[in-house]
Amino acid sequence: MADLKIKDLHKHYGPVHAVRGVDLEIPAQEFAVLVGPSGCGKSTLLRSIAGLEDVDQGTIEIGGRVVNDMRPRDRDIAMVFQNYALYPYLTVYENIAFGLKARKTPKPEIATRVKRAAEMLGITPLLERLPRQLSGGQRQRVAIGRAIVRNARLFLFDEPLSNLDAQLRDEMRGEIKRLHQEIATTMIYVTHDQIEAMTLADRIVLLRDGRIEQQGRPLELFERPASRFVAGFLGSPQMNFLPGRLVNGGGARAVKLADGTILPLPAGRWGQLAAAHDSEIILGLRPEHMSRAQGPSAPPGAIRIGTTVELVQPTGSRSYATLGLGGQPVVAELQAHDVSRPAEKLELQIDLNRASLFDAKTEKAL
Amino acid sequence: MMRRRAATRLGLRYLTAGAVTIVFLFPIYWLFIISFKTPDEIFAFPPVWWPANIQFANYAVLFKDGDVVVVWNSLVIAGTSTVLAMFFGTICAYSLVRFRTGGDDLAIWIISQRMMPPIVIVFPIFLLYVWLGGVDTYWGLVLLYTAFNLPYVIWMMRGYIADIPIELEESALVDGCSRWQVLMGVVFPMARAGLFATAVFTFVFAWNDFIFALVLTRTEVVTYPVQVTHYFGGQSNFWAKIAAMSVLGTVPVFIAVATLQRYLVRGISMGAVKG
Amino acid sequence: MTAQAAAASHPAHARGPFLERNFKYVIVAPAIFVLLLVGLFPLIYSLIVSFQGLGMIEQDTSFQGLLNYKTLFHDARLWESIGHTLIFTAVALPIELALGLLLAHLFLEKMPGRAIFIALLTLPTMISPIVSGATWRLLFDHHFGPINQIIAWFAGHQVPIIWIINPTTVYPAILICEIWQWTPFMFLILLAALSNVDKSLLEAAELDGAPYLTVFRRIVLPAIWPVMSVALLIRGLDLMRLFDIVWALTRGGPGTMTETVSVYTYLEGFEQFEVSYTAAIAFLVIFLLTVAVMWLLKRMEIAR
Repeated sequence: MADLKIKDLHKHYGPVHAVRGVDLEIPAQEFAVLVGPSGCGKSTLLRSIAGLEDVDQGTIEIGGRVVNDMRPRDRDIAMVFQNYALYPYLTVYENIAFGLKARKTPKPEIATRVKRAAEMLGITPLLERLPRQLSGGQRQRVAIGRAIVRNARLFLFDEPLSNLDAQLRDEMRGEIKRLHQEIATTMIYVTHDQIEAMTLADRIVLLRDGRIEQQGRPLELFERPASRFVAGFLGSPQMNFLPGRLVNGGGARAVKLADGTILPLPAGRWGQLAAAHDSEIILGLRPEHMSRAQGPSAPPGAIRIGTTVELVQPTGSRSYATLGLGGQPVVAELQAHDVSRPAEKLELQIDLNRASLFDAKTEKAL
Repeated sequence: MMRRRAATRLGLRYLTAGAVTIVFLFPIYWLFIISFKTPDEIFAFPPVWWPANIQFANYAVLFKDGDVVVVWNSLVIAGTSTVLAMFFGTICAYSLVRFRTGGDDLAIWIISQRMMPPIVIVFPIFLLYVWLGGVDTYWGLVLLYTAFNLPYVIWMMRGYIADIPIELEESALVDGCSRWQVLMGVVFPMARAGLFATAVFTFVFAWNDFIFALVLTRTEVVTYPVQVTHYFGGQSNFWAKIAAMSVLGTVPVFIAVATLQRYLVRGISMGAVKG
Repeated sequence: MTAQAAAASHPAHARGPFLERNFKYVIVAPAIFVLLLVGLFPLIYSLIVSFQGLGMIEQDTSFQGLLNYKTLFHDARLWESIGHTLIFTAVALPIELALGLLLAHLFLEKMPGRAIFIALLTLPTMISPIVSGATWRLLFDHHFGPINQIIAWFAGHQVPIIWIINPTTVYPAILICEIWQWTPFMFLILLAALSNVDKSLLEAAELDGAPYLTVFRRIVLPAIWPVMSVALLIRGLDLMRLFDIVWALTRGGPGTMTETVSVYTYLEGFEQFEVSYTAAIAFLVIFLLTVAVMWLLKRMEIAR
């Protein structure tokens, strides 16, 4: 079990500056997820940790030792690849045993460790099969088995579930989480899927253009995003962003939207806005913080507004309605059986306690 | 109506295919048949299309005179040079593909070496071999064939190696393999089909070569194509021997091609076409 | 994974055994060494020897300057041999291409037994060119060769063509042998290339009602051009160094009528022992060919 420390890491691919000064510390046994849009540098970062890429600047420390100049095989890490990387001409048993054999582990020990890993992943009956006889999910298990069997101190996952269909992905996600609970090794997991990030991570590291945009516990990033980018990346459907201005109306702070709608902010939030006055901002509202008004009056901090329904998309467990607010379409979450129809009027209740505010220019949270 | 038309088309295709095949195979048939004829039948006019008896006297003569040793020579030389060219060529191709060693220029220079007319190569090599004592030796021809086949092997294996998913190699590296173990334990097994196809063509080239062997052999290490030309006389040609020796030299190739024919389409298309 | 990433994923490590650090050089070394020996050495050696005066009569190793090269330019027989070689190439290559295309189209659609036909048609290419030449000598023999007999059937009377001596028939004889042997090569390559043409393009054209000739020119030809150009290059170069077939059929005769550059060079070097002169020819050919081919390949690689 080792911790990971990355200091001021830079990596260029020709003219492209793929990793720009990343500082990262992952304590031992933590499950860290590197997430971000394509091209953000997460795979490059992972491969650098593995030793499959050279770095141009900065240090990588595993378990207190700088590993920059060490070959991948000497770093004591295990890696699971997106395309499973199973050797088609070897049986499942031989695939899992491959690394141990390369390190000249004695045969009886190989047998014990392979059997134990296979049991843990439920693939014992498959040991004599060839990869082409396995399903996608089974192949991924074998790939994970090959990683487990080495008892490495650091596990790397490079988008392992991207090639699986949605149902299988849900199932495997749970398995990986359970795996971490069982063997408690430090794990670094790369994905572009924010649901995987939210459900698996002890720590999310959100990357953008080669830099860390924000890192922390999943709920922290979700509820207190440091920037508009973070807010828009996590959460599905995406947070609604409405441009507007901070205004004062009779001693109270409010947001004035593009079409003139005024949304007064709860008093508890005025403190954080002390600096920004009459500035352009972006208001962020998550669909789940907006709903059809029910009951006699709005709870404190919430406000009610009349809107017109444009579109309704039912998903079975809930419905998402696209409505007009502040002169632009926003998505709100309604109950599954809500019978709104396009062109109908709807009274919308917005919980402004949970709203996010971003500076329009810097896009950072206020 | 459509089915009638399709059937007629298919029938015509078979007819044409059959005719074309007969035309292309006739010379080979003729060569084989001559080797089974008696001298009277060979020199008969009008030509005898099918001999009265199939007789192996012509082959027996070759065995008796010891000329058959040339087939053995060809086998040893072609076989050895193929193994050497395949091994060194494949590992070289690996370096070119995965590490871009030498960049495009090296790759192009290597391929251009294949294009040299053998005569201009063999002449200075002959002078060198005279000096080194390599004329009329096994190693002399093996070295030359290996060298001449390397560009082809490198070119072909480049394509096959590039098709191997790189994650397999990376996974092996992380798991504990050295570069050499990755090359031997992952790349070679994965490229097996390509190795076979390329090996067949490499072997056939060395096996069938004439001009290198003509220049660099005298009496000790004659290969079968050169031996065939020994039967050409000033006045008359020993057609029976020519035919028999030719057949002896051709049948192994036919067998090799027949057994490995499913690997060969790519080999012949020079790897320029995928799959 | 991007091509960049793929190429870069084997970084050099400062620590580790020698083999690991210099792996990419070590595995390239044996092949490069052998190739230099056989590729560079002849070039340099030919150059040196070509400046000397080694010949049948004299054994002068002193510096002769460009004497041999001057002789080269005035050597009518050499230029004639170049002409012969070009004729062979210019006639055989288009015919092989056309026949190869026709055959490829014939076997393009699946049909039962197709694999057998294709395997059988490959056989001529697998034979040693010397054997192929010898075979056609047999076939063309004016006494007991079947070719004349078959012609006699069509003509109704005996037609004793002395194929390999009659100046009119000598070129066709060599060309027939060469085309017979190597058309299957073009056929196989073109078959593979045609099979890889995007079917949806062809189907769209068929729906549009375009005649096949147009479809071929506009869609098929551009699609198979990369492969076809490689095949033409290889076959073209092979034709330029024609030796075995000519040697077996005519030895360059009658006289020097069918002498190719390779045949002439061989005779000068190994029967006339004009060592330095042959070296001059060898050097020029190697040098010019290397430059031309490298330039050509670079253009094609860039296009690819």
